[in-house]
Amino acid sequence: MGNLNPIQILVDTVSVGGLYALTALGLGLIFSVMRLANFAHAELVTCAAYAVFALSGQPVAVAIVASVGTAMVLALATERLAFRPLRSADQTTMLIASFAVSMFIQKLLIFTVGSRPKPVDPLPILAQPIAIAGAQVSLLKLATILACIACLGALTYLLRRTSIGLHMRAAAEDFTMAQLVGVRANSVILAAFVLSGFLAAVVALLFVAQTGFVHPRLGVQIVLVGFVATVIGGLGSLPGAAAGGFLVGALATLLQALLPAELRPFREAFLFLIVILVLLFRPNGLWPAPGLKERV
Amino acid sequence: MNGRAPLLSVRDLVVRYGAITALDGVSLEVGEGEIVAIIGPNGAGKSTLLSTVAGLRRPDAGGISFAGTPIAGGALEGTVRRGIAYVPEGRHVFAGLTVLENLELGATVRRDRAEARAHLESFLDAFPILRERAGEAAGRLSGGEQQMLVIARGLLSKPRLLMLDEPSLGLAPKIVDQVYELVTSLRRDGLTVLVVEQNAGRALAAADRTYVLNAGRVRLQGRSAELTGAPDFDAAYFGLKD
Ligand SMILES: Nc1ncnc2c1ncn2[C@@H]1O[C@H](COP(=O)(O)OP(=O)(O)OP(=O)(O)O)[C@@H](O)[C@H]1O
Ligand SMILES: [Mg+2]
Repeated sequence: MGNLNPIQILVDTVSVGGLYALTALGLGLIFSVMRLANFAHAELVTCAAYAVFALSGQPVAVAIVASVGTAMVLALATERLAFRPLRSADQTTMLIASFAVSMFIQKLLIFTVGSRPKPVDPLPILAQPIAIAGAQVSLLKLATILACIACLGALTYLLRRTSIGLHMRAAAEDFTMAQLVGVRANSVILAAFVLSGFLAAVVALLFVAQTGFVHPRLGVQIVLVGFVATVIGGLGSLPGAAAGGFLVGALATLLQALLPAELRPFREAFLFLIVILVLLFRPNGLWPAPGLKERV
Repeated sequence: MNGRAPLLSVRDLVVRYGAITALDGVSLEVGEGEIVAIIGPNGAGKSTLLSTVAGLRRPDAGGISFAGTPIAGGALEGTVRRGIAYVPEGRHVFAGLTVLENLELGATVRRDRAEARAHLESFLDAFPILRERAGEAAGRLSGGEQQMLVIARGLLSKPRLLMLDEPSLGLAPKIVDQVYELVTSLRRDGLTVLVVEQNAGRALAAADRTYVLNAGRVRLQGRSAELTGAPDFDAAYFGLKD
C-alpha cells in the first residue's frame, strides 16, 4: 500500500470489502434457506481457484467458465451427496457434516496437488495500473469492484424480481409455510447452492488474480472471515451478510493502511476486537433478519 | 353428505408426540361443498388433526384419503397440489415479504397465470386495505388484516378443500364476522371448508356439521343446528362424557 493516497486506499478498501461481501452472500444464501453454516463453501472457492490454475495456459474465458462450472458442480454434488440425506436432521448434524465435507475435499486436494502454494496469474491484462486523479490505481482492483457491483446487482434482481427469487425469500423466512403454498424444497435449495457456487468462483478468480497463488487452504482463509461477516451482519439476512462482509473486508484493509507499521502485524487482533464489540452491543448482528422467528 | 363419496375422509387416526397421544382414533368425513367445524378445548388435538391432514406429521395409525386417494407421505409441497390449502393457526404471513408477494406466493401452483392474476386482483378489491398496503411488509399489518391475507393466500391456490385453524383467535368480534362472512361466501363457489374453532358458538353458526373433539377423540358429531343446545353438548365439549 506504500504511500497513503486516499484514492488508492479507497479502491483497496472497496475491492476487498466487495470480495468479502460476495463471500458472505454465498454463505448467507445457504444459511437463509437451510439454516446451514456451510463450511464446505471454503472448498468451493479453493476448487474454483485450482480450476483456474489447471487451465493457466488456456484463454481467460476458458479458465473463467471452468472455475464457475467447477464450483457450481461441486456445490450441487455436496448438496446431493452430503446435505440432502440429512435434510431432516438437526442443525448440529448438518453443521458437522459440512465440516466433514470441507475437511474431506481439503485433504483430497492436499493429497492430489500437494500443499505447496502454486503461482497463477489468470488476468495479466489487468496487471498494469492506471492513473486516476494523480493516484496509481490497479486496474484489477477496479475490475474487482465492478465485478462485485455486477454480482450484487444480478443477485438482487434475481431475488427481488423473479419467481425463484420470491420462493427463496419465502423459504428463508418460513420453509414449512413456503412448502405449504407449493414452493418446492429442492428448487430453492438447488438454486441457493448454484448461486453460492457461482459467487465462490467469482471470489476465487478475483482473489487469486490479486494474490497470485493457489493453495489448499485458500478458501478456508477467506470463508472464515466471511462467516464472521455474516454473524456481524445478522445471520439469515442477505443484505446484512453483504454489508457485514463489506464492513469486515473494508475494516481489515483500512487497519492495514492506517495502523502504524509496528502495530500492523496485530491487524487481525484489532479486527476481531471490533467484531467482539459489535456483538456485545448487537448480539443479533447489525442488520438482523426479520423472519428468524417461530415457524409452523 | 348426500351419499356421495366424501372429499376428505379420516379413519381411526392416531398421532402421538412421544408419550402423548394427541389423536386417539379419530374418524371424520367432509363432503364436497360442506363447511365442517371441529371444536373442542385446548389440547383436544384439533391442530394436530389439521396438520396431519396437511402432511406435517405422519399418522401413527389410521388413514387419510382425499378425493378417494390415500394421502400417504410424500413431500409437503404436494399438499397444495392435491388441492388442499392449509392455513395454520397463528397467522403465518411471510412477515418480511410484501402483502402482494404473500398473495403471489398463494398462486405458486397455478398454471393459469392470467386467471390467477385476476383472482389476486379480486382479493385486492374485496379487501381495499390489502391493496392500499400491497407494497408494505406483511408483518406490519394488524392481526385481522394478516388473517385476511393468509386466507386469501390459501384461496389463491384454488383449493378444493380449505383448512382453517382458529381463524378468529385474537381478533375483535367485528373482524371475526368478516372472516366468517368470507368463509361462508366461499361456499357459493363450491369450496369445501374444514375449520377448527375454540369459539363454539361461532363455529356452530357457520358450519353445516360439527365435530366435538376432546382429549384426542370425537365425543360428539352431527348437524350444527342439532348440536346447538343438545343436552350432552357441554359434557362432550368439556370431556365429562365417555
Ligand atoms: N409439537 C408437539 N410436541 C409435543 N406435544 C404436542 C405438540 N403439539 C401438540 N402437542 C400435544 O398434543 C395435544 C394436542 O395438541 P393440539 O395442538 O393438537 O391441540 P389443539 O386442540 O389444537 O389445542 P388449542 O386449542 O390449544 O390450539 C396436546 O396435549 C399438546 O400438548
Ligand atoms: Mg390448536
